[in-house]
Amino acid sequence: MIHLRSLSFASCAVLLTGCGAASVNSSKGFDNEWQNDSGASIAALEQRLHALPAVPNARVVVGVTDSGLVGSTLDGKSHWVHNGRAASPPMIAGQLVIVAEGDQIVALDASSGSQVWSIDNRGLSLRGAANDGTSSALVLADTHKSLFLGVSASGSSLGSVETSAALGTPAARGGIGFVPWSNQYVSAVDLKSGDEVARLLTREQVSQARNFGGQLYFGEKGLLRFDEKARYASTNQANHVTLPKLNLPGKPDWLGSGVVTGTSAANARTKIRVYAAPSSSANGELTLGGGTIAASYFRVLFGLDAKSADLRWVRSLPADIVGGAAASAGFVLCDANGKVWSLDSNGADAGSLDLGSKVRMCAADTGAQPMPAAAAPAALAPQITQALDALEPDMAEAERYLIAQLGKLEDPLVTKALIDLSSSPRISPELRAETRRLLALRKNGTEYMLSALARHYDFVSGVLLAPPVGPLADALAASNEQRAAPLLAKHLNDPANSADDVAHAARALVKLATAAEYEDLRTFFALYRATADDESLVAAVISCAEAVLRVGGDAGRTVVERASQDPLTQSDVRAALPGVLSKAAPAAAASAPGAAGAAPTLRATRDNPPKSAAAR
Amino acid sequence: MLHKSLIGVIGLCLGGLAPALANAAPAPKPAAHASLNLAGLQKALESGDEDRALAALDEIEQAGSASAAPLVEGVLNRGASSKLLLRAIAVAGALGKESSSGALAPYVNHRTAEVRHAAAVSLTHTKGKVAVQALRDALRGSDPALRGTAADGLGALGAKEAVPDLFAVLPKAVPEAAGAIGTLCSGEECRKFLALLGKLPFDVMESGFLPILLRTGNDVPDGIKLELIERLRRMATPKTNEVLRTALATYPAGGSPKVKSALDAALHGHSVKSDEP
Repeated sequence: MIHLRSLSFASCAVLLTGCGAASVNSSKGFDNEWQNDSGASIAALEQRLHALPAVPNARVVVGVTDSGLVGSTLDGKSHWVHNGRAASPPMIAGQLVIVAEGDQIVALDASSGSQVWSIDNRGLSLRGAANDGTSSALVLADTHKSLFLGVSASGSSLGSVETSAALGTPAARGGIGFVPWSNQYVSAVDLKSGDEVARLLTREQVSQARNFGGQLYFGEKGLLRFDEKARYASTNQANHVTLPKLNLPGKPDWLGSGVVTGTSAANARTKIRVYAAPSSSANGELTLGGGTIAASYFRVLFGLDAKSADLRWVRSLPADIVGGAAASAGFVLCDANGKVWSLDSNGADAGSLDLGSKVRMCAADTGAQPMPAAAAPAALAPQITQALDALEPDMAEAERYLIAQLGKLEDPLVTKALIDLSSSPRISPELRAETRRLLALRKNGTEYMLSALARHYDFVSGVLLAPPVGPLADALAASNEQRAAPLLAKHLNDPANSADDVAHAARALVKLATAAEYEDLRTFFALYRATADDESLVAAVISCAEAVLRVGGDAGRTVVERASQDPLTQSDVRAALPGVLSKAAPAAAASAPGAAGAAPTLRATRDNPPKSAAAR
Repeated sequence: MLHKSLIGVIGLCLGGLAPALANAAPAPKPAAHASLNLAGLQKALESGDEDRALAALDEIEQAGSASAAPLVEGVLNRGASSKLLLRAIAVAGALGKESSSGALAPYVNHRTAEVRHAAAVSLTHTKGKVAVQALRDALRGSDPALRGTAADGLGALGAKEAVPDLFAVLPKAVPEAAGAIGTLCSGEECRKFLALLGKLPFDVMESGFLPILLRTGNDVPDGIKLELIERLRRMATPKTNEVLRTALATYPAGGSPKVKSALDAALHGHSVKSDEP
């Protein structure tokens, strides 16, 4: 058992620097009886390792196929194939790719795919692997126990520790393996001896040790950096970075639990995940991905502000995203078709590779290099609409998210997008209702609204869905858009519109109608004052009466008065009309066209109204 | 026995209106000898008493007097209960005054299917440009049944300007458009219709063949009829033979002897050749 509490930081540092890490203690690790040393041992270790050059992982992407692995360096200069049946995800560890195959753990050269070593798996599954540039740290596990195992560059077994504790994903640096466990510790284990040389206690969930660009981090939900402040992790004063609060479809994980053994095929959790890499800004502050993180949802990738989680960009790939990595700026993703996409932090294409075959999943690492900046991408609104088109009809959660994001944008193109979505048979009724709600709130894109209102259901020309008349009416009335009046009036008498839409159109016409709309209003009033058979239609008729009174002059008032006295007028309408009449000002001196004298006939057709023909 | 749909088509060709339309809006009866009390009828129609108004409409229909058409139009212009509207629409159709088309037309767009249908049928009786435009609008509408009625009506009204629209809806589950096209098409349009043979299901096009074969004017050259006869002969199905037999049996006296001979020859299995380009 290590007992470091009694050691002062200074004496420990002396021991570490003077005698080497392996001589700090000789106890095997993962002991629950360990006494907190207030960060002394981990500080001493960090100080020793600090001067060593960073060893980033290879810049490579490796896919799992039905017959083995396919790999490519990110610069595209090397492409390789390895035959075998992967029983674990491929793990990029330094310049190696480590994978479980049958009863072996196999290490391949990341740039060539050639086998470097192979060792027996001891009947356990490969949970994690890391490499410090020379030696490797493996964690093997089953449901009862875990094994930490050091492996030399030639594949010889070095130190090992078996424990009943569930060990997490390891990292390695300077001959030391860093192994998270028990959700609060990271033990530093000498790769050669298997002795625990230091331990870090953290107050946040920790099951992963990771190498990002040669720098080590520990955590799960968030990451703390293994640096001079790591010793303060137990008092939450270490350098730390975490994701903003995300409200994304599928509730993606970032790193996921390091104590879960992965499989060699992508599942929903693989396809729905966050890609974010910690990096240091110029002033040393720890940030994520230069300000941008990404989250995949099957074939769609969302680019988000790393602090606010606001949507910055959206990409839709041709196939599901089955793995990838975040760089200090930008991302590398592979899709199930085997295509590898390099994106800069704005989501723009920074290059692509083809692995040459479909892949079940993939692993990637960007080493210490950011993705190069590419051309500026399109505006967000068209990106969102493109992504919506790419979504499968059963991906309602992603559609809901994107539609909500659309609603936040001021771009007039959003209005067009919402109009198109509201008329699309592709989305669910629930989402259509949401697009309609957002459309009704739009304050720009008026021309798109007017253009949409000019459309009607038309079987002959193949326009088989009416425009979203109700939301358009609300939005245009709110902006007092007089040009909408004749278009809305025409929609009153189009039975392809829902009664609810007609009610909103009539409501808008109370405000927007002019004398030019009188005939359409009066026609609607005549057709439905006695036949309105639902609540919306009743409301529409009453609104129509208000509009008729406002623009119809004496003739309009006569029409409404007669209806209010006619026992055949629908009861709810009849009950409301006296109130409408009393609220309206006495008829203006000016009468509507055709309203004076003999009453006009009802408007005959949509486009070709007849002349007044019959007296009543 | 004649195929049921062919009987309908013959009715359309020879009688001017499809039987369905004729049934829905009875033909005007001869004017009654007794003159109508128009003032009294107007009072009843505006009374707000549904029974009184219905009785007044009955009386107007019985009388068949076109002078009462404005009273019926008044009911339609003011609006009324569904029951009263349906009656007024039928009576307007029965009176057959073109002036009523303006009052009927908006009801083709009513939200109640029964009202729409009744209005479309009555418009085929009241006729005129307004009726044609209303039925063309109905052809564009969202009510499949109404589209069929509108297509029939456009054929009955001789609305040649609607032929492009009828071609547009023919492949979209509006087989009634075939009968109307057959009734209305001119030379090139008839050729276009024939070109669809084999591309559209026979059942969809069937109602258009007899009208073309039985047309007696100059709009459809004999060459087109002969081509149609030959194509039907070659198909040699029970349905095509039925069309040819019916055409021969009902061939109009003023029709082309050459076409009649071709029908006879085709039914005897002989090839029919057109000497026209």
